[in-house]
Amino acid sequence: MRIGKVNIENYKCFEGRFSAFFNEGINIIVGDNEAGKSTILESINLALTGVLNGRYLKNELSQYLFNYNVVNTYLESLRQGQNPSLPEILIEVFFDECELPLFEGNGNSEKVNGCGVIFKIEFDSTYQGEYEALVAEGNDITTVPIEYYKINWKSFARDSVTARSIPIKSVLIDSTSSKYQNGSDVYLSRIIRNDLEDSERVKLSQAYRKMKDTFIDDASVRAINEKISGKAKISDKNLSISVDLSTQNSWETTLMTYLDNVPFHQIGKGEQCIIKTNLAIRHEKSKEANLVLLEEPENHLSHSKLNLLIKAVTDSCDGKQVIISTHSSYVANKLGLENLILLNDQTVTRLPELPTETFTFFKKLPGYQTLRMLLCRKAVLVEGDSDELIFQRAYMDAHGGRLPIEDGIDVISVKLTFKRFLDIAIKINQPVAVITDNDSDYANKITKKYKDYVGYKCVNIFADDRDELNTLEPQFVDANIADLATLCDIVSISSGTYDTAKKVSDYMVGHKTGWALKVFESDTALQYPEYINNAVVWCDEK
Amino acid sequence: MKNNKLIIAAAGSGKTTFLVNQALAVESGAVLITTYTEANGREIRDRIVAKKGCMPSNITVQTWFAFLLQHGVRPYQSVLNDSIHSHDIGFFLSSEKSGKKLDAEGNPVLIKGRPIYWGGKDFLRYYFTSRFNIYSDKISKFVFNTDKATKGKLISRISRIYKNIYIDEVQDLAGFDLELIKLMFKSNSSVILVGDPRQVTYLTHHSTKYGKYANGQIKLFVEKELGKRIQCEVDETTLSASHRNNQAICEYSAKLYPDLPAPFACECDSCRVDDAHVGVFMIKPSEVDQYLSTYKPVQLRWSSASKINSNFPALNFGESKGATMDRVLIYPTNPMKEWIKNNAYALKNEGRSKLYVGLTRARLSSTIVMDYQESNCIDGVTFFTFTGNVVN
Ligand SMILES: [Zn+2]
Repeated sequence: MRIGKVNIENYKCFEGRFSAFFNEGINIIVGDNEAGKSTILESINLALTGVLNGRYLKNELSQYLFNYNVVNTYLESLRQGQNPSLPEILIEVFFDECELPLFEGNGNSEKVNGCGVIFKIEFDSTYQGEYEALVAEGNDITTVPIEYYKINWKSFARDSVTARSIPIKSVLIDSTSSKYQNGSDVYLSRIIRNDLEDSERVKLSQAYRKMKDTFIDDASVRAINEKISGKAKISDKNLSISVDLSTQNSWETTLMTYLDNVPFHQIGKGEQCIIKTNLAIRHEKSKEANLVLLEEPENHLSHSKLNLLIKAVTDSCDGKQVIISTHSSYVANKLGLENLILLNDQTVTRLPELPTETFTFFKKLPGYQTLRMLLCRKAVLVEGDSDELIFQRAYMDAHGGRLPIEDGIDVISVKLTFKRFLDIAIKINQPVAVITDNDSDYANKITKKYKDYVGYKCVNIFADDRDELNTLEPQFVDANIADLATLCDIVSISSGTYDTAKKVSDYMVGHKTGWALKVFESDTALQYPEYINNAVVWCDEK
Repeated sequence: MKNNKLIIAAAGSGKTTFLVNQALAVESGAVLITTYTEANGREIRDRIVAKKGCMPSNITVQTWFAFLLQHGVRPYQSVLNDSIHSHDIGFFLSSEKSGKKLDAEGNPVLIKGRPIYWGGKDFLRYYFTSRFNIYSDKISKFVFNTDKATKGKLISRISRIYKNIYIDEVQDLAGFDLELIKLMFKSNSSVILVGDPRQVTYLTHHSTKYGKYANGQIKLFVEKELGKRIQCEVDETTLSASHRNNQAICEYSAKLYPDLPAPFACECDSCRVDDAHVGVFMIKPSEVDQYLSTYKPVQLRWSSASKINSNFPALNFGESKGATMDRVLIYPTNPMKEWIKNNAYALKNEGRSKLYVGLTRARLSSTIVMDYQESNCIDGVTFFTFTGNVVN
């Protein structure tokens, strides 16, 4: 039993509809800061628990839950005297691999037979009259009339649901851990509660009630209460102190969890995160599935702790489902690129099956900048530092001094592992350019080597087809042959001593990074080999 | 093992106890107990809670209509008509044939003095009130058609939720209800139907489908309509002993339904009380007041328009269903009187059933208010006067 698909509509950063599929086991969401990674985790948790930021959303509806543009469109249309339909938030979770006929039906926005829950924040039509009056009066409505909204939380069988009745128990472990005011940790409580059998839960509630009764009955408390009620005759009513008896499960909000006698919320964020994750993953109640939503674990963990966490997740996620959002390519690589979900512009791309050896290659190279290629608009792969510097400079010269990265173009130095990157790029249709040497054998080192990628529009190979110019240095000298003196000047060698192309080129080969850095930092622009110029032009193509 | 059964229950035979015990004995899988009336459902729920201390999580008790709404209508409510995909569909108990065409003022459109009705082509107005409450007399048709449109997903879903389905008061199901029973028989669930064909409620069904099985002919339906591939055992013995009525009441009431096996009085010691005034009696209207003060029977009548002594408690026949009383005083209608005088009289189904219900409420005495001549001979009934009993 797990979640298979999520639809989100008009919630926070999602304007219109957003959909994502999830696999069993581990899912890693990567994407820009603004892409809405945490909103996805948050909304899944909301639809499965009714809880947002550690509190039941029910009585805390707010206009800020709605997508800004959707609200504006509604308001604008109202202002123009039209009668727009009120915006509505929808979060829909499809269950997968489950036998839960109670949750089956076609009561979902896709109108298909399925198993799941639908969580809506919608206009309560019992207020139709009030709302119409409000509009008719011509009052300036400046926001969504949230006071007329309600939560509609149902199974796909159109039956009302509660957090208790939903068999997939979700735990959101975020970086800004929410607590009840007194410090007891809401997530921790829920994790523990979910793991308890009904009978254990009843016993705990009873023990808690007994404790409260003992407190109230204690002689000193009674004496204090007599004193208070004697003195504080504010009205003819009785004032007394007691323990909060109002909520049924108040042990959850009152009881504190301790780790080695230290209150849980006082231990480090990192440690908290690991403990909560472990608790959630080890959850043993057999009838229920568990979903762990882990938000950017790298944010508050040292490298070694992060390793521990990743190990915990990979070791014990058997039969559990984990959705992690991350910025760290280290985390992504460690947990498996096959589980990657790329989030970009409200769309998701999943890294489909890659050749096994490509996986293992990336998995063995933690910290390797795989994600850079996946997250940028276009990637330029180069062999080493000098290629990187020269290409960047060529790009800047053509773009008024702007770095490629400022235009979403990432230049990545990959040594000799071009093909590994290309294998990923073709799977996700990521535009990528390769800038490489011909090693004096264009036919074999370029044409033949990259023939497998010919059919892919997203892959573009840029190399010099003149075998006699085998690498960047002779190619670069050749491009500046008309004015060798300026080149010598920039790389700080005497144009008198280095008076032939061959000599300059040999010098540069001997000082690989040095010359390139000087060219990169120079005030004077030079000429670039044609294939590099072509790569710059490719960057500007649509 | 899947096992379908129809159990014919006599009045006072401990049907509720039987169902409760059956449900509590189920070890694996969920149980649905569905009843026709709210009151009966409440009774079953109370009995379970009294026995177990709480409602076991695998047992659900709900009325037939509530069940149809939750599991029949809502899960696939838009399959027949896409326009109601997001509506909150409710329920409307219709006491007459539903879906009358109304004019602008809300009055029925009459042709030759008779109302006309929306047909199935006017889907929304045929099935629903203007507030999208589904009519009680069409809900099972809606469910049946939806199941067909989902290629059986609807019934399959139900049978995966409830491995055991008990349908109580089955005598009140008719029309498309019977089609649904047929589908449930065919599913993987074990279905037990329990009912007393003698105690049909004549209020809520106006369907013409399977009309011939409407008047308590559920047994006939099971025997004739299931076909070879669907099995259903008919059990007329398990619930044939009355723990309420004494033998005299059993025998007399059985005369109303000569085609069905006659219920008999149980022999449990705890059910049998010694009393001087037991049996089926007839008194003259002139002695009613004295009889009421002496024996304190509950008065049973056709409707609140019937004349009774308002100083003593009274119920309509219909309201008394399911109840047990020590003594009853029955005010028969004129056709009932005809039957009492001559058991060959063709008393109509509704009157027959109500008289049966009235007679079988009592543990000790069922007494009929009716003028008689001491010289008359009324089969099965003892004349009673305060001046001395006259046996005929
Ligand atoms: Zn008995």
